[in-house]
Amino acid sequence: MSAANGNALEISSLFAGYGRYDVVRDIDLHVATGEAVALLGPNGAGKTTVLRAIMGLVKDRRGEIRVGGVDLTRLPAHRIARGHAALVPEGRRLFLNQSVEDNLILGALHLRSDQSRVKRLLASVYELFPVLLELRRRPSSALSGGQQQMVAIGRMLMSDPAVLLLDEPSLGLAPLAIDGVADALIKLREQGRSLLLVEQRVDLALRVCDRVYVLAGGEIALEERADAVDAEGRSLINAYLG
Amino acid sequence: MSAGALGDQPLARAAPSGVRGRPRWRSVVTVSAIALYVLGTYGLAHGTLYIQGLVLVAAVFAVLAVSLDLVAGVLGLYSLGHAGLFALGAYATTLLYTNHGWNLFVLLPVCVVGVGLVGLILGALSLRVSGLYFAITTFVFTLLLTAFASDLSWTGGFGGLVGPIFPHFSSGLNWLGASLIWCCMAVLLVAILISLALRRSPLYPVLLAIRDAEPFAAAAGARTARVKICMFGLSAAMAGAAGWVFSFQGIVSPGQFNGPVAVNILVMVILGGINTTLGPVIGAAFISIFPVEVAINPFWQEVLFGGLFIAVIVAYPAGFVGFLTMLGRRARDRLRAGSTVAQGRPAAAVSEPAGRRLAPTEIASVEAAAREGAAHPEAVPLAIEQSPRSPAPAGGGALAVECRGINFAYTRGTPVLIDVDFVVRQGTIHGLIGPNGSGKSTLVDLIAGRLRPMSGTISLDGKRLERDGAPARARHGFMRTFQAAVLVRELSASENVSVGYYTRIPRLAMRAAAWPILPGTRREAGALREHSATALRFVAAGQWADARVANVPHGVEQLTQLAAACVAGPKAVILDEPLAGLSPTEVEHMASILSELKSAGVSVILIEHQPRFVFALCDEVTVLDAGEVVVSGPAAEVRTNDRVREVYLGQ
Amino acid sequence: MLQVLLSGLAIGAIYGLVGMGFAIGFYVTRVINFAEGQLLMVAVMVAAAIARAGVSPVIGIVGGIAAASLAGVVTYLVAIRPVLIFNRFSFAWLVSTLGVGLILENLAAIIWGSTSTSFPTLLNGTSVHIGNATLSLQELVTIGVAIAMAIVFELIRKRTLLGKVGMAVALDPEMASAVGVNTTAVAVAAFALAGLFAGVAGVLIGPITYSNPYLGETYGIAGFVALMIGGTERPVAAMVGGLILGILGQAANTVINTQASDWFPFVVVVVILLLLPEGLFSIRGTALRGLLRGVRRPSESAS
Repeated sequence: MSAANGNALEISSLFAGYGRYDVVRDIDLHVATGEAVALLGPNGAGKTTVLRAIMGLVKDRRGEIRVGGVDLTRLPAHRIARGHAALVPEGRRLFLNQSVEDNLILGALHLRSDQSRVKRLLASVYELFPVLLELRRRPSSALSGGQQQMVAIGRMLMSDPAVLLLDEPSLGLAPLAIDGVADALIKLREQGRSLLLVEQRVDLALRVCDRVYVLAGGEIALEERADAVDAEGRSLINAYLG
Repeated sequence: MSAGALGDQPLARAAPSGVRGRPRWRSVVTVSAIALYVLGTYGLAHGTLYIQGLVLVAAVFAVLAVSLDLVAGVLGLYSLGHAGLFALGAYATTLLYTNHGWNLFVLLPVCVVGVGLVGLILGALSLRVSGLYFAITTFVFTLLLTAFASDLSWTGGFGGLVGPIFPHFSSGLNWLGASLIWCCMAVLLVAILISLALRRSPLYPVLLAIRDAEPFAAAAGARTARVKICMFGLSAAMAGAAGWVFSFQGIVSPGQFNGPVAVNILVMVILGGINTTLGPVIGAAFISIFPVEVAINPFWQEVLFGGLFIAVIVAYPAGFVGFLTMLGRRARDRLRAGSTVAQGRPAAAVSEPAGRRLAPTEIASVEAAAREGAAHPEAVPLAIEQSPRSPAPAGGGALAVECRGINFAYTRGTPVLIDVDFVVRQGTIHGLIGPNGSGKSTLVDLIAGRLRPMSGTISLDGKRLERDGAPARARHGFMRTFQAAVLVRELSASENVSVGYYTRIPRLAMRAAAWPILPGTRREAGALREHSATALRFVAAGQWADARVANVPHGVEQLTQLAAACVAGPKAVILDEPLAGLSPTEVEHMASILSELKSAGVSVILIEHQPRFVFALCDEVTVLDAGEVVVSGPAAEVRTNDRVREVYLGQ
Repeated sequence: MLQVLLSGLAIGAIYGLVGMGFAIGFYVTRVINFAEGQLLMVAVMVAAAIARAGVSPVIGIVGGIAAASLAGVVTYLVAIRPVLIFNRFSFAWLVSTLGVGLILENLAAIIWGSTSTSFPTLLNGTSVHIGNATLSLQELVTIGVAIAMAIVFELIRKRTLLGKVGMAVALDPEMASAVGVNTTAVAVAAFALAGLFAGVAGVLIGPITYSNPYLGETYGIAGFVALMIGGTERPVAAMVGGLILGILGQAANTVINTQASDWFPFVVVVVILLLLPEGLFSIRGTALRGLLRGVRRPSESAS
């Protein structure tokens, strides 16, 4: 689903926080259909809050969040997750008491009445991550960090969302696993999916994404095309630190 | 602190402490209340037997509820064992008097001490089982006692025993009325005063810290296990006294101390208002008197009762006291309605607004404070000033921290730190950087005593401390901050900072229960406030001293933690990602604070992610990656190291 | 010996059913429903009332169970959900669910009187002989139904999509909603089940205890103890806890004296809790938690 102006995700004037104070203020950002966008910034800048606000997991949010013409700020979290957006959260948060395939199936919960579609989605996930096919009956708690990350990404894909959201997928992973994640994300981008990627690893973000925002102190500090950054990594790092 | 853009102190209300002149006003109120209480007791002592009976039961349960609140509300240890402790007091009194002729007044301290000791055991239990399971275990304690009381012949079985009769006043004091009323109201008054004393003492913030963020309390030097056990002992002692009083009302039987009673006491606390001085009393009065007084069909009365439970707690989760506070606030707001300008001014004195956002003027004032602080650094906290250390001689000097051969893993097979050596020279700022998951936080937890290494040594200021816990580090002058939010949200910034001063207040835990009447405590409290105030001013958060931490911006919370770490005049402070969530201006301000600390001779260990900050500020830097030290040395050298660029910047 | 075992199983089955009622509600919402015992009582009273009205006892029994289930849902919506919305960590539900219990108990007394009345018996009083032990048909059916329900529940939990959704909500309700689960609906279903289990326990024990409004108190505590023995990791453990409790009680009665069942089981429970602070069946749970910590730790120092 894409809006008339070609944006998969459009955020305007987003304020969000917990309790009395806003963690992020006056956020404007967009992800065009088929685009991969990175959201960078130092710890505590509010990047995770932005993703959680999109998913409806932040109680205090004001502003507009549009996916495919629908304003997500009017929907409860479980409706948002039914095809508008899906999240790979920080730390993966798999349902560790269940198997790999169970986690994937749960991702497609809202599509359960269309079993053939669920099977097709499942097949596409196994195509993206062949190793999961072997591991599919294993309890997800028995997997390595990198494998769990694959399951988390798979679970996200299973709901066939308009926008893919990922929160620091490289966290705690060995370099090889990080490469695997990066390759998968690049493949998804090539398939025309729309991605919003929160990351701390600048190199990973630049590899995968077309455009980059920098969030600092709760506000957008910078927006640049990824290829413009490649040449001068320094400008990005400076933006980090205000 | 320059005024200017800071304007009024928008949020300087809420928490009562820290305002000059308040204590005197409070003492007047307290003394008047006590006088009224005594008058009321006199009236009751001359009332009808019926009313006296009611009051006796209500008062006894009020004592129980107050005692339970001390552990449940203040420390978060939900006990369903107080009915059992209560039973112990009542049965002990009755049996020792009836069967062995013990003097009734001797039996009071016997109950207090005896049941108190049992309470120490239960308190120790809370260290092993926590939360729900602790409640369950204490519940079983009550059930067991009830079962034994029902089954053993010498406890009178189901029918119970006839309790002793409280001696009446001698003829000279007859005018006072019923002696038993005076006795039970006196016990209740003592209980309330103890609760009040604890809440007004500097121990209270520490207790709440143990409840909400035990690592923070431990890092401040509180031996949390000991404190919990002792508080439980105190609480049990009060329950024992309640039992003693209760035995005089006639019959002591198992049905009065069973499971439902245990739950009822907790209900009284929650319904009345948990963690308040008078909430438990109100709750106890309501639950004891309501069923008797509402003279309708007994079944409908219970239905109404149950309905009230639901209605009150759903509408006012803070209980009756919450309801009363809301009424009071509304009345106060209405009185103020005329004088408040609507624009740009925050809603008056509301501490729980539904979703009030930080107004632009307030954001500006936080930024302005940070800018001011960076440009004109405040004097260091009093304690640091009072015990200055000479700045370290360049390139040498004693070691503040010396870690050798540290190995650590959370679970077998996944080592987090591998053979790490880490050395910090006194009086320097030492940075610890590395990618996420490299083990930095773990190393800091080991140095701060929250964890124990599997092998290796940790020496702080020359003393081997790796086997000791976090409180020992604080007592040796090593304070730390945490990355996550660890402050007590319902207390003010100043009160949270005072927790950091714990190790400097002699025998606080022992003196807290009688705090207001002990000599010199007012002076101590005043000095403590001064220390907290200077510490907060040092970090340029002085204007937030009386604001509740729940209402302050994230950056101010970080600063408050830092102030708490500095207030006692530490030798070294360990900061775990202090810059998280700070704006660029606030970051600059933090840099100036840390430089100040260094010039006062305090060593600083810093975990951070922002490379420019770290390399500009730190004298030496250690880089960790995947649990191993990559390189360690002077900042300038480390910065240009190739491996560091590779590892840290991912390039 | 065998008699102790079998009689213990029979009464333990009831405890186990009530225990599972507690456990299912707790599993999904982390709340202990203090009115669970009263849900058992509701089933008993409604079934008895329907039967007394001349309708077939079978309908009475079904009606009783349905009423208990409905009461469970109402308890959740009125006394639990509003409290959790305000603050997920407060213990206010202790007060509100107690309030529900009080209301149910006294409404029952108002409607049907506070003394015991008869309860429909479907099964005649025949006894079955196993070895040298005797068991009434009622007791046999009780054991069978209880174990069957426990097994079916566990199968549903582990094998069906509904069960997996429940497991997801139990582990991480926020993440569950982030994959599209309506956690309120799941909680409603959980409390409907909690009522169902208590209701079945009620109609099974009804013929023995007759119907009176105060049944909830004894069976509530017993079911709670069953939950404690089994631990809160998996609802099915509460059934095992209940059976163990029943057997312990019978053993105490027979071996020590008739009143020992008052205290002996509790002593055992305390010992168990001291040795295994999280119940009998949480050994795997502790390992799971350790694993979770090992997996989550790296992310703790991030934004």
